[in-house]
Amino acid sequence: MADEIVVRVFDIVGGPLCVSADDGQTVHDKIAPLLRDNRKVVVSFERVETLISAFLNAAIGQLYGEFTEERIRELLSVRDMTSEDLTMLKRVVDNAKVYFKNRKQFDQAWKEEVGDEE
Amino acid sequence: MIHYLPTIHSQREGFERLASLAADAEKLRADRLEVDFSKCGFFDANMAASLAALLARIADNLNAVEIVKVPSPIERVLRKNGFLLAYGYSAVDDVNQTTLPFQRIQLSDKGRFADYLKQNLKGKGIPRMTDGLGKVFKQSIFEVFQNAVIHSDSRLGIFVCGQFYPQIQRLDLTIADAGVGIRTNVRRYLGTNVSSTEAIRWALQGGNTTKTGSQPGGVGLKFLKDFVALNKGKVHLASRLGFYEYCDGKETFEKLSADFIGTVVNLEINTGDTQAYRLSSEVSPEDIF
Repeated sequence: MADEIVVRVFDIVGGPLCVSADDGQTVHDKIAPLLRDNRKVVVSFERVETLISAFLNAAIGQLYGEFTEERIRELLSVRDMTSEDLTMLKRVVDNAKVYFKNRKQFDQAWKEEVGDEE
Repeated sequence: MIHYLPTIHSQREGFERLASLAADAEKLRADRLEVDFSKCGFFDANMAASLAALLARIADNLNAVEIVKVPSPIERVLRKNGFLLAYGYSAVDDVNQTTLPFQRIQLSDKGRFADYLKQNLKGKGIPRMTDGLGKVFKQSIFEVFQNAVIHSDSRLGIFVCGQFYPQIQRLDLTIADAGVGIRTNVRRYLGTNVSSTEAIRWALQGGNTTKTGSQPGGVGLKFLKDFVALNKGKVHLASRLGFYEYCDGKETFEKLSADFIGTVVNLEINTGDTQAYRLSSEVSPEDIF
């Protein structure tokens, strides 16, 4: 079995635009099972032209809800990203770490908005 | 009911005047609304998206909506960008290719937005932005659109329209929805009755998000603000009774006098911006996680 598995975002999304949370979820759903299996994963952004935070939140940020920072650091890496997209990913990852430390519980019902006044 | 629409520019007053239309027609059911443009001296073409979002809600209440007495110059522009076609007007060819056409995109069909941008941003008289600007600009508008997809819960869809002004090298793009508005989401999340402007202020803070599920958030609007600041452009945001403007490094939060039911983001982009948008310091892939 290969030492590491390359997840090619362009191939999973089907094109160069990584601009939806739904597509990010699809990529996440490829990565997460591999991490659960303790496999090393390299996420390649080769041929990706447009990348937004909503996509990265779903694809990678979401992993911090299931895996520890140490596990992700040990098993996950990225390649073929521009400097600007790396900076965006760093921001997403740092934000995700805080998000999962502070977030409300899954099953907490949203409070109802009371009244329409201001 | 007849509503006389005044001049509408992409600024607080313009959003407020559109919100007044919504307020006027709020209780109309299975009736008829005539939007009379005879008192409208000017209508920023991109604001068709904002108007369409409000009219969609009025029509959803089973009202017939007609648009009448549109002054010729305004009628021409709104036929060129396609907004008036749904009201029985015929199309006018966009000879100068300066419009980003009006489009209504259902949440279930959100992939169409990428096609819309691909068809309408490049060529067609809208001059090619520098590579750096073009990339960051596209990211920003996709971020705004995704915000609407994720947060608006807009059963009536998302409305897009833009206009390019070659003489002043400015591109205005408006993305509007007829959804729940920022206030509702933030109130539900925080469990307090914050005002619309306070809700917008909260939502614009980096790291703040009303998402509570497995996907984090709170990065997109900050990215947009950073881009607009560098570009020396503007961003306007109107949602329910709140209005926000970012311009020349200054942020303004104001209360609207009428309820803009939904959310609209308007971007004014300086297309003559020649900055490289390349970062001076780089993050190494090894430092990401």
